[in-house]
Amino acid sequence: MGQRPDDIALDVRNLRKAFGGVRAVDGCNFAVPRGKISGLIGPNGSGKTTTFNLLTGIVQPDAGQVLYRGEDIAGLKPFQVFHKGITRTFQITRVFREMTVFENMLSVTSLSVPDGAARARAEELLALVNLTHLRGEYGGRLSYGQQKLLEFARALMTDPDLILLDEPAAGVNRTLLQHLLDHIHRLQERGKTILIVEHDMNVIMSHCERIFVMDYGVKIAEGPPAAIQRDERVIDAYFGRRRQH
Amino acid sequence: MARREHTRNLVVLALVALALTLVPHGVSVYLRSFLLFAMMYVVLALSWNIISGFTGYTSFGHVAFYGVGAYACAILVADYEWHWLASLGAGAVVAAVMAVVIGYPVLRLKGPYFAIAMLGAAEGTRVIATVWDSLTHGGLGISLPSAETSMPTYYAMLALMAVTIVVAYAVGHSRFGIRLNAIREDEGAAEALGIDATRYKLAAFTLSAIFPAVAGGIQAYKVLYIDPPSVFFVQITIAMALMSMLGGKGTVVGPIAGAVLLYTAQELTWVNFPTAHLIAYGLFIIIVARFMPRGLVGFAINRGWIRKGMVH
Repeated sequence: MGQRPDDIALDVRNLRKAFGGVRAVDGCNFAVPRGKISGLIGPNGSGKTTTFNLLTGIVQPDAGQVLYRGEDIAGLKPFQVFHKGITRTFQITRVFREMTVFENMLSVTSLSVPDGAARARAEELLALVNLTHLRGEYGGRLSYGQQKLLEFARALMTDPDLILLDEPAAGVNRTLLQHLLDHIHRLQERGKTILIVEHDMNVIMSHCERIFVMDYGVKIAEGPPAAIQRDERVIDAYFGRRRQH
Repeated sequence: MARREHTRNLVVLALVALALTLVPHGVSVYLRSFLLFAMMYVVLALSWNIISGFTGYTSFGHVAFYGVGAYACAILVADYEWHWLASLGAGAVVAAVMAVVIGYPVLRLKGPYFAIAMLGAAEGTRVIATVWDSLTHGGLGISLPSAETSMPTYYAMLALMAVTIVVAYAVGHSRFGIRLNAIREDEGAAEALGIDATRYKLAAFTLSAIFPAVAGGIQAYKVLYIDPPSVFFVQITIAMALMSMLGGKGTVVGPIAGAVLLYTAQELTWVNFPTAHLIAYGLFIIIVARFMPRGLVGFAINRGWIRKGMVH
């Protein structure tokens, strides 16, 4: 769509993944714009989470490329993808339950970073998400919303360039969600690229600059929120007029 | 704050070590031997705890490393006339290599599958020690040349215990240890957060194999006779696990306290109830498991006597 390569943070080309006979992602193409907040939406089972898992190495693709800074990262292991500067959160939180909040934070920083720097970064991020008072508490004892915040803060420990958020709004109350969205915007202002998978259309429509819509494992539409809301193919995919075949 | 705690713990450790240095001269041979085995179980429980407590991979076969260390010492001293201290180093190297060779495939398994694979690895090692006549003298076992070994093995075990405690403490209170904990809590999430789980697990497993091998060597030199059933005794693995769990696995104080308490309880029940000591021992374990499922340290944490977490 007329983007220069410099404007693209992540270029997904012809990505494919089948589980047995189910083609979960079936030749998906999209380019995530650099320094912007983008959304990935689609009906249940359209392949969004599988796409996320393919991008982060949790699932290995059958074919296709994921270009990041000119390098194909498809097929790398999760920890290798992470070290390229890409981090993610999970749909259902995965905090380390029997480790303290502070230990959860420290676990992310690689051992080559000096201890003092890692600790300072952890304290700073905990303060940012207002969890400092819980730093000595076990991760598993936090409320679900607090776990979401912890997971979000933990993902920022290494100052990643590309942040993938899998349903950040799910199970989070409105106040906390607003808090989280403020942080996301602040990250974007600092030049980070953010890609959100989300079911909450309000979140997607009012916070994303560009939206990709998936259905049956392929991208069926892309554009700014206003265009997506009017797009016939998107309406079809969500309301099922096309589903006779 | 944290530094002051580390200093305090180090001072306590040094005082205990000093006391244990002075003790053996004034006591009976029995008591000296009792202390040696108590220290040995501290070493075993703490080592087991590195892979099974910190990293969450419960090993039912750790006696394999102990047995290999014992054999390395016995073979090198009896058949090749090595100095026994040098043979301990050789045992550590053999155990480390063995840990990498076994660990690389077996650490891909999780939970009960890993536990059972390790049980199999230990049994397999025992069988090899039994049938490889030319190296191990098979089922006959190996007798070491007689010598006064009670004092030197006591000090060797004391030194080994001190090193093991320091290493376990350093691992437990470091970011390396935290990353092992992360693997225990959720390996998939840990990998997604940049932790190369395969490498970390292998490092923890190898570390946890070295000290039991040295302990096995010291024990062989102390009793001067070993055979496969005595040094590949599955109950030694069970003891490591029980002691760690009793004290609180995944901590440093836990396995130490668990080893001292359980070994003492075992000796006392054995001495006082020669026919029923296993029943008393079993009751003790049931009571602890029922009322302190996370061990003594977990109990203390729940009461607020100890802070949660290892790194503050």
